[in-house]
Amino acid sequence: MDLSLLSFIVMGVAAVLLSAVMITRRWPVSAAMVLIGVMTLLAGMFGLLDAHFAAAAQIIVYAGAIMVVFVFVIMLLNLPPEELRYGGVTVGEMILSGLGVVVALLLGTKVGRGFLTTGIEQLGLQSSESAPHLHRSVFAEGENVKNVAASLFVDYLWAFELISFLILAAVIGAVVISKKKGAEHANAA
Amino acid sequence: MLTLPELGLYFSFLMFLVGLAGVMFRKNILFMMLSVEILLNAANLAFVSASRLTNTIDGQVVMFFVMAVAACEAAVGLAMIISLYRTKASIEADDLKALRG
Repeated sequence: MDLSLLSFIVMGVAAVLLSAVMITRRWPVSAAMVLIGVMTLLAGMFGLLDAHFAAAAQIIVYAGAIMVVFVFVIMLLNLPPEELRYGGVTVGEMILSGLGVVVALLLGTKVGRGFLTTGIEQLGLQSSESAPHLHRSVFAEGENVKNVAASLFVDYLWAFELISFLILAAVIGAVVISKKKGAEHANAA
Repeated sequence: MLTLPELGLYFSFLMFLVGLAGVMFRKNILFMMLSVEILLNAANLAFVSASRLTNTIDGQVVMFFVMAVAACEAAVGLAMIISLYRTKASIEADDLKALRG
């Protein structure tokens, strides 16, 4: 068996199992640490899929920045242990979720098989010669970051600029939401 | 024999199921948000796998956008959790029933 395939399977199984471990933790901090492990495993999978920029961004942005915010908020809340009760899953919930999994499997295999076998050709994604600027397709060694940058700053420039407005709005929203109570506190003091 | 990107699609499906179970069964809002991160990561894996499968770069660009949206979602959601904990002294979803009809 191919080494990259073997390591991909190992990392994928570990990521799924660690996700299951994460949602059953009692303490938020251990859940956040397990989630960092999941994200690191996903970064390895991105690297094996030749998406080197995605792998680096996954480590820096997700496992770095976003999870630091999570851990910081967990520290800020400083929840008492009785707040962290975990009732487990009832039988009714188990039956309903099993039904949901069956439906999702049927739907996923149907859609996925259609996409994997016939969909790609019909979507016309392979015919990049007709519109080379629309679908950049080079996965050559060391070219990944260059291609992502070319696509991001040429084809998706407007979406990229709009994302900056979204981040600005989110920052303002976060400040306003968390400030409301603090202002009263300042008045009372 | 499955290729790497096809396997990635299957793994992303399984991870999405696990994250969905986390959102549905945990009553703690903090755990619900951590599960949402699993959902977004599964979607990212699907995007990158599809990008490799179709030999186009667009999936990786969309994955970058998903990452930016996830950062916004985490910032606003965590600010809301802090605000809720200050007013209700609880982050259990069952205790937040002011909007129940």
